Amino acid sequence: MSRVWLPCGDYHQRYTEDQGWWQTNVIKGKMIFLLLIVFVVFPLILDEYWIGVANMVGYTALGALGVQLLIGYAGLITLGHAAFIAVGAYTSTLLILKFPWPEFILNLGLAYPISILVAAIVAGLWSVLFGLPSARVKGFYLILTTMAAQFITVDFILTQYVSKIGGRGQAFSLPPGTIKIGPWAMETDLQVYFVMITLLTLTIIMMANLLRSRVGRAWIAIRDNDIAAETLGINIIWYKLLNFFVAGFIGGIAGAFWVCNCAALSPEHFPWFLSLWLVGVILIGGAGIDGAIFGSIFMVVIMELLQMASIPLGEHYPRILFDFAFIKEMAFGLAICAFLIYEPRGLSYRWWQIKNYFNLWPFSY
Amino acid sequence: MKKGIVLKLLVPFLAVVFLVGFSTAAVAKTIKVGGLKDTTGATSDVGKDAALGQAEFWQYYVNDHGGINGKKVKYIWFDYGYRIPEALTKYKLLKRMGVLAIMGWGTGDTEALSPTVNKDKLPYVSDSYSAHLTRPVDWVDKDGKKHIGTGYNLFFSSDYSTNARACLTAWYDNKWKKNPAYGKRKARLACCYMFPSPYASAPIAAIKNHAKTLGMDVGPDQDVSLFALDTKSQIMALQKFKPDVIWHGNTTMSVSATLRDCYALGLKANHIVNNWGYDENLPRLAGAAMKAADGLSVMGATPCAFYGQKTDMMDEVVKYAKKYNPGVPQEKRLNRTVQGWCNGLVLWEAMKRADKAGDLTRVGIMKKGFETMRNFHIGLGAGDVTYLPTDHRAATGCWVQEYKNGKFIKVQFVDIKKRWPKQWASEWFGW
Repeated sequence: MSRVWLPCGDYHQRYTEDQGWWQTNVIKGKMIFLLLIVFVVFPLILDEYWIGVANMVGYTALGALGVQLLIGYAGLITLGHAAFIAVGAYTSTLLILKFPWPEFILNLGLAYPISILVAAIVAGLWSVLFGLPSARVKGFYLILTTMAAQFITVDFILTQYVSKIGGRGQAFSLPPGTIKIGPWAMETDLQVYFVMITLLTLTIIMMANLLRSRVGRAWIAIRDNDIAAETLGINIIWYKLLNFFVAGFIGGIAGAFWVCNCAALSPEHFPWFLSLWLVGVILIGGAGIDGAIFGSIFMVVIMELLQMASIPLGEHYPRILFDFAFIKEMAFGLAICAFLIYEPRGLSYRWWQIKNYFNLWPFSY
Repeated sequence: MKKGIVLKLLVPFLAVVFLVGFSTAAVAKTIKVGGLKDTTGATSDVGKDAALGQAEFWQYYVNDHGGINGKKVKYIWFDYGYRIPEALTKYKLLKRMGVLAIMGWGTGDTEALSPTVNKDKLPYVSDSYSAHLTRPVDWVDKDGKKHIGTGYNLFFSSDYSTNARACLTAWYDNKWKKNPAYGKRKARLACCYMFPSPYASAPIAAIKNHAKTLGMDVGPDQDVSLFALDTKSQIMALQKFKPDVIWHGNTTMSVSATLRDCYALGLKANHIVNNWGYDENLPRLAGAAMKAADGLSVMGATPCAFYGQKTDMMDEVVKYAKKYNPGVPQEKRLNRTVQGWCNGLVLWEAMKRADKAGDLTRVGIMKKGFETMRNFHIGLGAGDVTYLPTDHRAATGCWVQEYKNGKFIKVQFVDIKKRWPKQWASEWFGW
């Protein structure tokens, strides 16, 4: 069933309408309004700092969407997603810095866009490799195999071998002007923001389309009951691996975007904590694509606001700047506990309730 | 009912947070200095004390001593937990708040932020002493690779590569030359450090190059995490190579774990340690492994005095630590406090000079402040510093000290520039 509850009096007569992109003109209007906000209004009104925060929200959201696809849609619990983001980031960086691009590709500013696509595919295939055990194991055991992805990929392969390429030591630096899209060198936060919002929009469209197709329904069936799904004729190994591929693909996009945002790279950027953090994002955000987005906004923006709140307090109580460090760490754990107890369906459920209140008004019962 | 209580508490809390948060944009005009520190992350074993020291310096000492030629200073600092993404957003927040300079921390984030800092022309005085941050003008290395200049990155100390070369030289002069095997075979060096850490890996190429210069053999590197509590497998891997000296590139906690395991497994090697792994906590944590028995020694690079050592300005450091952080016992304070003060003192001087020249701006602090310093005496046991527009290597060498009979004792001041002037001038510059 569609997750959208239509306004009172509106109803669909066909299944295709129920799964359509634009179910009503109001929804179409709302989506166009949202795109205007993120593509036009935000760049106009936000200063450099908030644009930087938005870029971090986008990076977190791109990472969390892959985790959502694995955990939320196929029930494949992962604690190693940072590894796939890292693979994307390193693939993109190595392609930009080391690949002998033909001159016309460099002149047209296509090296980075191509590297995003290649990074996504490589990360997707790498993810499939670590998804193979999902054919035989699930639950806690699958968590362990995905954790292995983190340690094998980041701590072993990237650290011991890949990051030594070029002889710098352990880190890559992408000098200003190296990352170009068309005629534009990515040098300001605003340019990075447009890359982020474009990638995020395209990823959401791709993921939403997949989820309303046969593939998406198969994933959901596997999540709900894999044995029942198999008896219905769903090839669960194929679909699980496909899920790992798409999740890794999205992780690769996140990694390639990170390169554009940070312009430097080392294995330190992809600790195991990042994998855990992304699971926290979807726990707080709740189900669905909007859950990953809400979770990302919450985790990044709220932490920033808490930090900002500590500054004036620090003038009168200097110790708070020290103690706040621990408060912030605790806030992450506390937020997850609080959401699991008081809002187990996450922020997206609350948003869904708010929307439905207005959609069903005046007959909200 | 429960939900009602939660809402009643949550709504006012969030309202206060939002109001206070947004109100920071309208803070009254003062001279602002920013700080990015690690008090909870991978390097917090040394970061907490450094953050305390810098806060005592900027919040109290500077303002008690006239601020910037009479202008009050406001120090705003954040803990970023050694998470690079967080360092990026915190940097932007500090920039937005209008800070004139930033007291930075780790190598990973400082090197990642370097192009941005230089584009923003914002002086960034870091506790990362990576040699990659010392060359202000764009340059091309011997392999033809282009490097972007790090014109707005600074620190008071000798860089990690110079520290590594100094430690190895001091060990070679004072220990290896007295070894019965000297002249009969080559000395053997091995390195223990966290491979993925830009801080720990920054001087590795330099120390290996220096080992070659001194005619030594270099063994297999061992990956020791900054969080390591057990390093037996790494030490066992070294037993076949039988190193005469081991370079420790991590921070104190994991260096102590490595020393303990060397001692436990009977690896008869001397140890040389980078500055962030060599402090008052090391003998406490390493215990018997630190005692110089059987000819073993633990030497380290010390860019400034240990906490409480008799030297000029130390009385002030101790006075402010006692006054403003009485909850932290004096015996727990480290040379990190002193390092924090040293970096603070050079930035303070640069700001005063820029202000005197009528140009207390970000560019002014660099051009009319830092880059006018020639042999500026900091005190606190640190070497005099010089910053040239083409060379930000503040010091040309450092004291190497040894822990002996329960005390840190000065072994040798190794001046790399004096000893290898040709290589110092260009070959070893910037890495």
